[in-house]
Amino acid sequence: MKKNIRFVFLLMILLVVGFSLLWGGGGKESAGPKSITLLTWNLPHYSDTINQWIKEYQDANKGVTVSWVDKKGTELPTYFQTQLAAGTPPDVIDIQGALWYQYAADGILLDLTPYFQKEPEIKNRFEKNILEAASNFGGKYYMVPFYTPSTVLFYNKILFKEAGLSEPPKTMDELISYAKKLTKGTVSGFLTLNFDWLYWPLFRANGVEILTPDGKKAAFNTPAAVQTLKTLAELTALGVISKVSWTGRWAEPNGEFGAGNASMLHAHLPALRAFQSQSKWANDQTIGVAPFPGKWSVPNYHGFCIVSKTKHPDVAWGFVKMITNDKWATTTATVLGTLSGNSNADNSLIKDPNFSKNHPVVAESFKVALSVSGNLTGITRSAKDAQIKDAVYSNIQKALFGQMSAEQALAEAEKAVNRILAAQ
Amino acid sequence: MSKVNRGRGLLIVLFLAPSLLIFAIYRIIPILWNLILSFQRWKLIGIPKFVGFSNYQSLIQDPVFWESFKNTLYYFFGGTPIAIGVALVLSLLVNKPLKGRNIYRALIFLPYPITPVAIAIIWKWLYDEKVGLINFILKSLGITREGIGFLSSFTWALPAVIFTTVWQSLGYYVILLLAGLQTIPEELYEAAEIDGASGMRKLQWITLPLLKPSLFLCFIVGIINSFTTFDVIYVMTNGGPGNATEILVTYIYKKAFTFNEIGPAAAMTVILFLFLLLITMVSNKISGGEAGGVHYYE
Repeated sequence: MKKNIRFVFLLMILLVVGFSLLWGGGGKESAGPKSITLLTWNLPHYSDTINQWIKEYQDANKGVTVSWVDKKGTELPTYFQTQLAAGTPPDVIDIQGALWYQYAADGILLDLTPYFQKEPEIKNRFEKNILEAASNFGGKYYMVPFYTPSTVLFYNKILFKEAGLSEPPKTMDELISYAKKLTKGTVSGFLTLNFDWLYWPLFRANGVEILTPDGKKAAFNTPAAVQTLKTLAELTALGVISKVSWTGRWAEPNGEFGAGNASMLHAHLPALRAFQSQSKWANDQTIGVAPFPGKWSVPNYHGFCIVSKTKHPDVAWGFVKMITNDKWATTTATVLGTLSGNSNADNSLIKDPNFSKNHPVVAESFKVALSVSGNLTGITRSAKDAQIKDAVYSNIQKALFGQMSAEQALAEAEKAVNRILAAQ
Repeated sequence: MSKVNRGRGLLIVLFLAPSLLIFAIYRIIPILWNLILSFQRWKLIGIPKFVGFSNYQSLIQDPVFWESFKNTLYYFFGGTPIAIGVALVLSLLVNKPLKGRNIYRALIFLPYPITPVAIAIIWKWLYDEKVGLINFILKSLGITREGIGFLSSFTWALPAVIFTTVWQSLGYYVILLLAGLQTIPEELYEAAEIDGASGMRKLQWITLPLLKPSLFLCFIVGIINSFTTFDVIYVMTNGGPGNATEILVTYIYKKAFTFNEIGPAAAMTVILFLFLLLITMVSNKISGGEAGGVHYYE
């Protein structure tokens, strides 16, 4: 009996090893038609355009098949990482924010610098500041911009008029005094998004940086940061800054602003459609757009990266080139309501009188976002950006809700960030 | 061994082989691979690098790991005993020959089969500071003037999540305890009644001792649930505010899929496994061994 069990057990091990050799083997150039996979971040509403991309590329490149997979933002990183582990990653991936720094540092993404050097006209398509922020890591380029929203200040003109304010705030002192004036009952004066460093202009406008220039140490534990955090905590306790700024992510803050429960919203361009779609008050005449005081803006760019394990890098590059050309970039900017990063596409829309007439607030938000593209903040350029962000924000939140003092929160965050950076 | 017995043995083993193969592929091999990964640094591509105990060391120095460990213990001690206690009372009630007891049993069990994600979404709405039903009731009764941000409060977030999971798991514990109550011989209660025992004495000297195996099972299930609940917390709070509701399982997920630190995440699962094993062994010892089993002496 024991012998039989041993025999069956050995047979099982052999079967498992055999299967894994059959399925797990990668790296062989497949004979026959070339096939690439595109993975996008939460774009089911953009399916018509994406299907057109695929058709156009396949028609122009016989023998090439493009498959498309779309995942929600919360699922995409997990999906991508499990596919990588399984040896079946997509070839082209649409990534948001600074998530790709870690992938680039780990060699998961293809260095696109040689491609840009060979075809400088592709590199020159993009607005310089946007490309540098979106794509440059360690002196190499990894991403081709797809859509490039950054933060601006949206404001409710109706509530501004009722408070006797005719213009948006231009300085931090004005922002605070306006917010206090606009706070009435359950309506807060100010609301911000908080993910991916989007709240950082509140600190940067007071001279606070995240890391030292060499990226090796935390730089945010300063008297100015302590004072800023104390002020934000006081204003939150008073209801001047909506608590949802610090507890919500996307749906809640946009819902609050759309419902008229906040007078100013600091958010990136896609928020416009998000809050407008759930609002009775928000229309082209009642929404104002302005730069954040100090003209500080946080990019939350989306771009296409090519996975280093792709079997068809040139095919993938050709596809990415095509879908970010002037024609498709214009479509992206128009449909998604945000800058594409493609200079020709974005500027032509801004200058198009029909676009301004039909989408005045979108056109205005494009102008504002472009005007602040040289003043970007909230960029760490660290492979450990996700951990640094989490360490800073979780401690800041404790101070904002009175769980610990601003001094202690920033000290704890600094300790955590320095530990993360030292472990690299 | 005779030829017939050998043949029979081989047949048995061959019938078991497919299930054992699936068990090996989906349980044994991942557990072993996880253990190996806990001593490696892996970037998802290329060959993992052996780093010894440095993943475990980094966890020991990580304050969020300890905070999530503390929250997990709070989650367990704050939830499971209450759930089992309430379930015991409910099961004693619905074990009586009441009119409509089948309806009561169904109502108690109803939340359990509902997917945890749906439960989390429903309770997230119930707890909402502005439009939630709970705040509406509290304000209507004059208990509070303003809404309480249950899920955004450092004080209330974890208790709120615990309450949700207790509510959902009650039905399962009631079923286990009811099954246990059904196995207690009726003659024991009759004999006790003849001897003039009160309800409380019958509960203390008959029901509870003979319910030990079921209570032990509930306890172990409770431990496993508290240490492995992911979906409810992920949907309701995602570990926030701050790290107030971060438990080990959610932090493991964050480490692996948000921070891309596969090695430390694997190390955490090993620590979690060892801790669960320790608790189970200690519980077994405290309950007298044999998983709370009861011996009947003639």
